[in-house]
Amino acid sequence: MSINLLQRHVLEDHISGFETDPNPNHLAVVRRPVIFSVLAHAGHEAAVAEALKAASDLAPRFCGPSEWLAVSQTVGAETIGGLLSNIPGASFADQSDGKVLMTISGPSVRKILAKCVAVDLHSDVFAEGDSANMLCCHVAANVARTGADTFEIIVPRSFAGSVFDELMEMGREHALTRGFSD
Amino acid sequence: MASLITCPHCGTRPKEEFSIRGAAAPKRPSATAKDEDWHRYVYVRDNPKGRYQEYWHHVAGCRRFLVVDRDNLTHEVFGVTDASDFERARTAG
Ligand SMILES: [Zn+2]
Repeated sequence: MSINLLQRHVLEDHISGFETDPNPNHLAVVRRPVIFSVLAHAGHEAAVAEALKAASDLAPRFCGPSEWLAVSQTVGAETIGGLLSNIPGASFADQSDGKVLMTISGPSVRKILAKCVAVDLHSDVFAEGDSANMLCCHVAANVARTGADTFEIIVPRSFAGSVFDELMEMGREHALTRGFSD
Repeated sequence: MASLITCPHCGTRPKEEFSIRGAAAPKRPSATAKDEDWHRYVYVRDNPKGRYQEYWHHVAGCRRFLVVDRDNLTHEVFGVTDASDFERARTAG
């Protein structure tokens, strides 16, 4: 991991400059999230899913059958790595420096995201705690609902700039603001 | 008309998330099969109009290969299964 990637966030140039207080509709970029990809070995799918759900300090994000992202904003990569190595039948890899985590929230979040994804995000079908891979602003992203009006979007680092700009453009009519969350 | 495919893992998704990978019905010959069999498998394909089974790769979603049973004239979708389940059912039956 290059020191530059650690010290300088890929969206630094997109967010620098004039800063205002966050509006009700806000896009927050998390500076250093911990993101691991986790795969379950054949026969261990259900057990690994259970263990990930039960683990503290870690939010599992569904990617596909027997594949998840393990996300943490509270503890470091060593802790998550140690935790995952205790789950039998799971393989994992640290992807923190290859992914960008954004949180979009506010009363108009569904209206904004309706222009970014072609998936029904109504709480009847995409409830709090649900997550899935989907196209978001033409990029394969992982989208999770973490609250009634809060969604987390994980995109590959190299696409983060384009997704960020498009989210901001779609949020413009709803006075979407942006900033680092820490 | 929007082309919506209901992935067994991800739910209802637009066709833009998928990559179509061709007919699912032809059976892949064994590695030691005769050249004629391989030639028939690789090059000699039907181009049917109507209902048929096709591999769809869910590239922007779960990244699984699916088998979509659909009518390529009306685009009515009759069923979507994971390709590994499809293969297991085919070998069993
Ligand atoms: Zn899928």
